This record gives sequence, C-alpha cells and structure tokens, in this order.
Amino acid sequence: MAPNFWNKVFLIFKKDLKDEIRTLSHLLGTLVFGLMLVFTFSYALQLADLETSRVFSAALWVSIYFSASLALQRAFAKEVESGTLEALLMGSGDRGVLFVAKFLYSLSLLLIVELVVVPLMWVFMGVTGHKLHLGLLVASLFLGSWGLAAIGTMLNGMTTQLPGSRLLFPLLMFPLLIPLLMGAVLTSQGAVLGETQSVMGWVYLLLAFDLIFTVVPLLLFDYVLEG
Amino acid sequence: MKLGRWQLLFWTLVVLVPSNLYVIFYYAPVERTMGIVQKVFYFHVAAAWIGLLAFCVVCGASIAYLWTRSDRVNHLALASAEIGTVFISGTLLTGPLWAYPIWNTWWTWDPRLTTTLVLWFMYVAYMVLQSGGETEARKRLSAIYGIIAFVNVPLVFFSARWWRSIHPVVVTSEGIGLDGKMKAAMFVSLAVFSVLYTYLVPLRMKSLALRSKVRQLKADLLN
Repeated sequence: MAPNFWNKVFLIFKKDLKDEIRTLSHLLGTLVFGLMLVFTFSYALQLADLETSRVFSAALWVSIYFSASLALQRAFAKEVESGTLEALLMGSGDRGVLFVAKFLYSLSLLLIVELVVVPLMWVFMGVTGHKLHLGLLVASLFLGSWGLAAIGTMLNGMTTQLPGSRLLFPLLMFPLLIPLLMGAVLTSQGAVLGETQSVMGWVYLLLAFDLIFTVVPLLLFDYVLEG
Repeated sequence: MKLGRWQLLFWTLVVLVPSNLYVIFYYAPVERTMGIVQKVFYFHVAAAWIGLLAFCVVCGASIAYLWTRSDRVNHLALASAEIGTVFISGTLLTGPLWAYPIWNTWWTWDPRLTTTLVLWFMYVAYMVLQSGGETEARKRLSAIYGIIAFVNVPLVFFSARWWRSIHPVVVTSEGIGLDGKMKAAMFVSLAVFSVLYTYLVPLRMKSLALRSKVRQLKADLLN
C-alpha cells in the first residue's frame, strides 16, 4: 500500500470526523440510545435480582450490539443522502481507501459511544470490581469494536444501495457477529472476574475474527461499490 | 413417449422415498436404549447434510455470479438457499423431538445446534436480501453476502465447540459408531435426500426464471 493510500484514507477520515463533530447529529442520537439501553438493562436485571458481576459483560455486549446497529448505519448512508458518494468514489479512485476510511470512522464512533456507555453501565449495575483487569477489559472492547466496525462498514456500504436498508442492516449483521459475541462476552467476563489466564484463547479468537473480517470485506469491496 | 430428465428424476423419487422409509422403519433395527425415537436420526442427519450442501452451493454460485453475472447462476444460489432453509428447518425441528426424551431438554447451546441456528438465520437474511425485485444491485450484494456468510460458518462452529459440546458425535475420524444396518439406513437417507435436492433445485430455478420473465413482461407492458 502506497503512502498515497494512507494519505487519502486520512483525508476522508478527517472529513468525516470534522463533519460529525460539527453537527453531532448522529453521535448524540446514538449516545442517547446507548444510555437508554444501559438504563433499561440495568434496571431489568436489578429487578430480577441477578448477580451483577456475572451478567455485566453479557448485558454490556448486547447493549453495544444494539447501539452499533445504529452507530454503524452512518458511514455510507450519509454520503448517499447528500449525494456525495459518487464524488468520493471518483476522488479516492480506490474503493479500498473508502472502506478503510469509513471503517476507521465507524470504529471511532463506536469507541466514543463505549467511552460513555461502559462506565455508566458499570455504575448502574453496581459491579464490584475488586479483581477487575482493566487492560483486558479495554482490549476486549477494542477488539470487539474492531470486528463490529469492519462488518458494519461493509454491510452499510451494501444496504444503502437497497430500499428498506434500515431493517435490512441489523438483519444481515447480527448472524455474522455470533463468534465475535462469544469472544467479546467471555473476554470481558474474564476481565471483570479477574480470570485473565483462562480467557486468552478468546482474545486470539477475537484477533482472528477481526483479521478475517477486515481482509475479506477489503477484497470484496470493489464489488460492493460497483458502477 | 420420450421420458424427460424431470420425469425420470420424479419417478425415481416416487420409488426412492418410500424405500427410504422402509429402510428406516423396518430394515434398521430399533435402538436398544433410545427406542423408536432414534428413527428421527435418519431424517435429522440427512436434512442437516442437505442444509450444509445447499449452503456450499450458495457460496459457490455467489462467487460464480460475481464472475459471470448470469441470471441462471443467481437463480441457482437463491433456489439452493430456499431449499436449504427448508431442510435446515427440518433439522432444527427434528432435533428437539429426539433431544427432549434423550437429553431431557428441547434445546442446548451445543456447537452443532448453535451453528445450525446461525446458519438458518443467515439463510433467512440472505433470502430477505434477495426478495423484492431483481435489480442488478440486489443480485450483486446478495452474492457478496452469500460469500461472507459462508466464511462465517466455520468460525461459529469452532468458537462454539471451544466453549462446550454434548452433541453425540456419530461420525469420527476412526469411523462411524453405528450398527451395520443403521449405517446402511443412514447412507440410504443421505443418498435419497441428495436426489431430492437435485430434483428440487432445478425445479425451483425454472420457476424463478419464469418469475423474472413475468416481471420483465410486466415492466415492458407498463412502459
């Protein structure tokens, strides 16, 4: 990959981030949705009187998945709405550039949402993190978000070309994310309970998943944005 | 009268399907501990085999579609997905019938069960993606999804197996842990289901081709 490639990626990424920071329209909506999910989950689990440190990571990842189904529907949809996708395609010349830039943008959105959602969930659920391994928790969040963003970016590029994309997107996304869900939930759980050794295998699974679902979409992306 | 390929396959199946039932219910012995409920195995395994085979065909046809852009190949992928869904549904429904008396539960998060369910979801998502008009974009994007979904299958299976497994493993690298007559019945089922699949797929492809023709004619009429 030529240095030119990364220059273009950086330019598109910067444009998207600037756009998002100036309007905040999408980020704020997603954040509020994430907070509502966290609140609803924590409250429901509180009512059910479950041991919070054991259900924390499962509830957390379901919340992240649902927030992601909103957050990740932005990358290409906004270009299609404003009619700028063609210009971007012509400007970048390479569809791989567009995929990587939009992937980085989606990943940043997700990580910003998690920055707010995860600590709040922790507080709301009243988890006692005596044995918490913060590094592992952060790693699981990062690796999980990576996979989510990679698949989400690809699927968003696909569904925006079709009518009914809002419904289609989660329908296509969730079954693909099952292995990621297993890795992410179990790794976060290990981090919360301080059982770091036993979950290293799942970290490798997350790494493998991220690698596969970054490379495969990159290879297929020429076909996604064809014509 | 010249017997066409269709009629030949059809009449073969008219003979094969009842023979398969005979082999399953009379030839194969009743399992000693499980009893009659074990008979579901022959349908369950054969349907799962077709579900997996159909999914491989979807992936292969999807790759071929991106290559050739032929409507026929797209119809092959869609027909295979539809028929695969029917068989996978059969697997998912027959499993609990056996599992409830034997495992004392309708469902468990075993790798095979989990993978089969995820497979079913991906099939359904694929069909939703294909539904609603045959535009160029829809066919192309369905093909891409057909490929990604296929890549996902081994990931689901191995991650779920890593977690836990209680599903009986009948076929291992050492051989097949079954009585001779049961083994024969299983292979007969696999073969008959495969013939059924090869009969149904071209039939459905034909009706899909007719459907696109009707759509085309309607569009021409309106313009």
